[in-house]
Amino acid sequence: MTLIPLSTTGSPTMESYHCATRCTWCDGCGDYGIWTATKRALTELEIAPSQVLLCYDVGCHGNGSDKLLGYRFHGLHGRVIPFAAGAKLANPKLPVIAFGGDGASFSEGVGHLVHGIRSNYPITFVLHNNANYGLTTGQASSLTWQGQKMNSSPNGMPEHTINSMDFIFSLEPTFVARSFSGNIAQMTRVLKAAIQHRGFAFVDMLQACPTYNKFATHDYLLERCYDVNSEGTHDTTDFQKARALAQPNGERIATGILYQNVEVPNFYERLVPRQNRQTSATEEVAITSVKDWLENYR
Amino acid sequence: MNRIAIKVTGAQGQGVNVVGEVLSKALKRMGYCVFMYREYMSLIKGGHSSAQIDVSAEPIASSQAGVDILACFNHHGLEQNLGDVKQNGIVLHQSADWKWTSEQKRLIKKMNMTVVLLPVEETLAELKAKPILGNMLLTAATWALLGCDPERLKELAREQFGKKGEAVVAQNLACIDCGVRVAQQNANGASIKLPRADAQWSEQLLLTGSQAMGFGLIHGGCRMYVGYPMTPSSPLLTFMADMQNEAGLVIKQAEDEITAAQMMSGAMLMGTRAATGTSGGGFDLMTETVSLNGIIENPSLFVLAQRPGPATGLPTWTGQGDLLLAVGSSHGEFSRVVLSVSDSDDAFHLMPQAFNLAEQYQTPVIVMTDKQIAEALYTQAPYDENHTVLQRGKLITDPEVLKTLKGTDRYDSSSPDGVSARWLPGADAATFCSQGDEHSADGTVDETAANSDAQQAKRMRKLQTIRDALPQPQLYSVNDGEQLDLLIVGWGSTKGPVLDALRSLQNSEKTKHLKIGYLHYTYLWPLKTEFLEMLSKKSRRTLLIEGNRLGQLGMLIRMQCGLDIKRKLLKYDGRPFFVNEIEDFLHAVLLGKKVIKKHPTVHYSLFSKS
Repeated sequence: MTLIPLSTTGSPTMESYHCATRCTWCDGCGDYGIWTATKRALTELEIAPSQVLLCYDVGCHGNGSDKLLGYRFHGLHGRVIPFAAGAKLANPKLPVIAFGGDGASFSEGVGHLVHGIRSNYPITFVLHNNANYGLTTGQASSLTWQGQKMNSSPNGMPEHTINSMDFIFSLEPTFVARSFSGNIAQMTRVLKAAIQHRGFAFVDMLQACPTYNKFATHDYLLERCYDVNSEGTHDTTDFQKARALAQPNGERIATGILYQNVEVPNFYERLVPRQNRQTSATEEVAITSVKDWLENYR
Repeated sequence: MNRIAIKVTGAQGQGVNVVGEVLSKALKRMGYCVFMYREYMSLIKGGHSSAQIDVSAEPIASSQAGVDILACFNHHGLEQNLGDVKQNGIVLHQSADWKWTSEQKRLIKKMNMTVVLLPVEETLAELKAKPILGNMLLTAATWALLGCDPERLKELAREQFGKKGEAVVAQNLACIDCGVRVAQQNANGASIKLPRADAQWSEQLLLTGSQAMGFGLIHGGCRMYVGYPMTPSSPLLTFMADMQNEAGLVIKQAEDEITAAQMMSGAMLMGTRAATGTSGGGFDLMTETVSLNGIIENPSLFVLAQRPGPATGLPTWTGQGDLLLAVGSSHGEFSRVVLSVSDSDDAFHLMPQAFNLAEQYQTPVIVMTDKQIAEALYTQAPYDENHTVLQRGKLITDPEVLKTLKGTDRYDSSSPDGVSARWLPGADAATFCSQGDEHSADGTVDETAANSDAQQAKRMRKLQTIRDALPQPQLYSVNDGEQLDLLIVGWGSTKGPVLDALRSLQNSEKTKHLKIGYLHYTYLWPLKTEFLEMLSKKSRRTLLIEGNRLGQLGMLIRMQCGLDIKRKLLKYDGRPFFVNEIEDFLHAVLLGKKVIKKHPTVHYSLFSKS
């Protein structure tokens, strides 16, 4: 058995995550806010850099993989969810957070998003939703508004826009939150809840893309976003209400923790052979005798 | 070589496999080495399928073309397989109203076949037994035609059905008595004489290559398996899933092969031993992930179970057409290991080794198998577990050492062997990024020319390190000598029929003096050719034998060292090489005979042009 000495490093600070690599995002990019809130959420949860796995998809947000410390992974376009899920199942003791953009998550890797939610893996998924492919210089994604003129859609995007939140709710998620890259305090609160959630936590981060997104701008989002948790009496266990709140209506955008169900076991908890095991698959690697089982093959 | 063969045929879903497996097990326990080969079509019910059991007291790991007993569930066997029956063979069938064509009658007479009718429906009605027991009737009748003691079959039936209660056992025993009696009555004294049994076989194991591979994975420390169904890799997924409760495994049937490959990779990054398996089409989808593991230097294990392509091709048949796919898959240049299993023995022993290689060199390992190995039933000596070692290379778990690490140790390009320190997420140490972009030593993106050059050189240095560490191909020789009459070169499942053919040649007066070597390639990339080059120089002839059209190992050898093996024996019809096909061609090659036209889909060429 290989014992992995888990980190016992004392209380981390924002400084613990500091990394000398300079950020390369555009001025006003929503990635700065999400990046800051991520470090802050981890710090407030007292998770040290060596106690977390941060998995990045490919896109502008993925360029953040070397702009902070922590055990990190930067993989292939569209594929971050299964990699993160595989990592989590091998060592459930470590919090695993996956980050992906709207291009990766609603086009190239949409199947992984579907099955990630369906499987209810105990991981957090942060959608960097700037409604376009920023890194490849502004092509339309399936979350770009229909009719918008984009790089490679000079006549306007002909396809209709996916109603992403309704799609997510149709998959019977156990955690859905939405936040805005201009609201670090809210993002921090939402991320902390997501990281602590029992199963698959879907966090839609509406983010500004000052260079290529001329429709849902920082100001547009700032004017419309409101927090359902601080305003009124939203019951986060009410699935239908949450689904209705998440619908786009052109006027106000509901943010905060929209829905959470902690009654549903996550994928790992459902694995019969893993019941009551204190060790992780990572710790169990050893040459194993199969002699007794082979007796049935004589 | 003294060997016989029994072929059970029927529609899929009728019980062909069950009869084949029971006969195989009973014969093995009697003291025979058995080898069972399955043929079936890509559908669930109907179709035409068969299970052929080759039986000998000597070691065998192949099928012969031609059988001594043809046991049929339905008339399709009579139509399609009558030509498979050898001189003095027996046809056991259940089609009372069957009308033989004049051509079939001529064939039966010419081959002096005995036709034995087993009226299954009537017999079952007499016994008041359920249709499922038709399996046992056919098994017992075949058993009787081999002249075997019914008590031995009854012992097995008691063991297999004991759990289901006395009534079920009693019905099965009654079917055995009845099947034996009817077969004896209707056979007019005809039977197939088995060779003299050898007790060494009775205690051996009987298992498929997929089961052997699954046990090998678990033996080697595999704790997680992720797959997506695709023949012929599905039996491995099924086996691992069936073992999950006993072995405590994490099993995931993924939504696609990309997911399977990614989940395995994520799990390996965390430090467990995980594997995924697929066939050609699924592997095509996995290849981008193979490349990712190349740059993040992540140990990873892909099982590639071959079937003939292109596209869906021949889903339930066998072939060796994916060697160049495995060696050349994925974009970019990176170090990888490609190895191939060949039977139930190395399917077990190579799996811990594959994990060791993956961890020692922090690189993807592709283990090739094929439908023949995956689904054939082998007689296997109990595995020696005492020599298996856990080798995790430069993995650091010592807390004191972990504290001294810097993030830049992870991908330190100055490492002379190309392999740098590895530690696992969660360890109390400096952190790093497993970075899919070109990166500097701690995984920070770095596109400078100097860094790109250094990192690419570092990763590719591993190829030489691996090459130095891997063994040369293994030589199996008949009559050692300074000069060989023939050197045969091959890989994968062709080893079984080649070695069986060599044993047969050794037993024949005309060929027993000949010096023949079979050089078997287990490690296909990086490819080592020094031993081959030396042997080929001292051999009068060199022959490449492969289950594909291009002679892909031959192409790799030529690419690697310039040696062009002009003599090739190639087969790409979805069937494995049968032992007598190889024997016939070896006779022709060695004794200077004209190459016979008996095997229309086995291609012998003397030219290098593909």
